[in-house]
Amino acid sequence: MSTVLVVAPIVIANWPMITAAVTAAIATSGFTAIQHEASNIASQMTSKTRETIEVDDSEVLTDTFGTEEAIVVERDGITATFKRDSKGALQICMEGDRVSKTQLRAIGEDLLGRVTQQYAYHRIVSELKNRGLTIVDEEMTETESVKIRVRNW
Amino acid sequence: MAQEEIEIEVDKHGRVTIKTIGIKGKRCLEVAEALAEIIGKEEQRTMTSEFYENEVHVQNRIEIRNQR
Repeated sequence: MSTVLVVAPIVIANWPMITAAVTAAIATSGFTAIQHEASNIASQMTSKTRETIEVDDSEVLTDTFGTEEAIVVERDGITATFKRDSKGALQICMEGDRVSKTQLRAIGEDLLGRVTQQYAYHRIVSELKNRGLTIVDEEMTETESVKIRVRNW
Repeated sequence: MAQEEIEIEVDKHGRVTIKTIGIKGKRCLEVAEALAEIIGKEEQRTMTSEFYENEVHVQNRIEIRNQR
């Protein structure tokens, strides 16, 4: 028999892990990281469309209390700010000119998916290494999935 | 002999599919379950007939003779 498990990811990570996942995700989606302060000033000066995505299945672990950290990425005038909300979950604030809330949400959810993909990928690879298992093949499929084959038996 | 493997696919939304292949013992499944636990919540589990167990070995013999 073969067994197939389908798993919905839950992002439970500290800020460095989230930063690493966002950095890896934006490399393939055309976004670039920008300075947090610069984006704050820009958003205060203009009236942009805003949409917030709450990531319910997530928990941002804090290493140091009282720190308010954020990662801001930008593509074609649209910014996405990743931060921890008041409940400790991950939140993405999307902002942009001449775009609807629906468009912002779609872009944000696509970006969130890629971040979650990177998070899950790194958790898996790290666990496999800890168990001394060997990745014998790794590929990116046409549907942008990452496929890993593991063998150690 | 059948190879024992785990095939893991992470789609672009982060959803993970873990497939164990060629399992004879419990260890492979234990690894799959452990991975599922650290990634998130298991949504679905299906047992499929094993590809390798159904493998049929066919031996063909071709004789080529010169006809003179």
